[in-house]
Amino acid sequence: MVYFAEAVNTAVLAKGIMMGFGMIGPAIGIGLIGNAFMTAVGRNPEASKYLGQVLVIIAIIELMALLVFASVFIIK
Amino acid sequence: MISGLLSRFAIDPVIHITPLTVFTIKGFAITNSMFYGVICAVLILIVLITVARRMTLKPKGGLTQIVEVGTDFITDTLKGALGSEEKAVKYAPYFVAIFFFILFSNWLGLLPFVGEAFKSHGEPLTRPFTADLNGTLAAAIITWLLVQYFAIRESGPLKHLRHYFNGSLKNPITLLLGIFEIFSDFTRIASLALRLFLNVAIGEIIIAVFSALGGVAGSVTALPFTILELLVGALQAYIFVMLSIMYLAVAVNHDAHDDSDEPLTVDEVVNAEVGKASN
Repeated sequence: MVYFAEAVNTAVLAKGIMMGFGMIGPAIGIGLIGNAFMTAVGRNPEASKYLGQVLVIIAIIELMALLVFASVFIIK
Repeated sequence: MISGLLSRFAIDPVIHITPLTVFTIKGFAITNSMFYGVICAVLILIVLITVARRMTLKPKGGLTQIVEVGTDFITDTLKGALGSEEKAVKYAPYFVAIFFFILFSNWLGLLPFVGEAFKSHGEPLTRPFTADLNGTLAAAIITWLLVQYFAIRESGPLKHLRHYFNGSLKNPITLLLGIFEIFSDFTRIASLALRLFLNVAIGEIIIAVFSALGGVAGSVTALPFTILELLVGALQAYIFVMLSIMYLAVAVNHDAHDDSDEPLTVDEVVNAEVGKASN
């Protein structure tokens, strides 16, 4: 009897599914922040200097995406 | 691993994520990132001490100005978070030091000879200090310890613990939320360490992959990503310091429950009444 784990390389499959589902969240989150930034600057162009500095929040969200990318190297 | 038309010119990228032992001193293993970290720290100390001796009131160009720009940047962030200038100057030395350490440690990891180029016994001899989870975990733990020390020095240990539980102590939900807050302190250490390590290590991996894809012209194909890594290294250093300043500001800031504790003085009531009467 052939087991699924012998016939199919489940490690590669797991990595692929994890990367695919994992990157959806951070990408949508960063897009939403971009949306809010552009709406706010559109209403009040002088606020672009202050709001541009808040854009470093993107790096905090990137952590989630990078955690997914790093798990690829942890799964054997 | 690489197949296709041009596979005869291809080189497999060599990627290391964990640091490897270079030599041992009396049975204590020294890894390549520790080795390069010490080299970087000595270089940074030499640069910063030389700049500090050359401080003058009139601005001079060159290296002094770059360090002054960095120091002003961090002190402005501190002033915005903590409120007053003298508090910012009191806490500035550690945050400016850790900012320059992480910044130069990231940037010095992009030099050509760091990484896979120089090998001793088949292992890379040097590795950037922040591309090692041990290094960034050490930086995060020491930052957390110092933030706790500053907060306790500012307001006393019992008041600092009471700060986690906001609300009345007889409410059981306050106790639960307080314990949750204390645990989230530890996840902050992990998130600071992981963010810095992952950004720098993944940058190294990307540079390795793209220089392997280039084959003979590997140094040209990896150039745009090296420039990107300059930006990412600076941004991650700034984010590390900015987040730890925010944690310090949250722990030190007592405006929420200080103002309501003091009763109004007679002068304040009289002035308020006079102001109301004259309007």
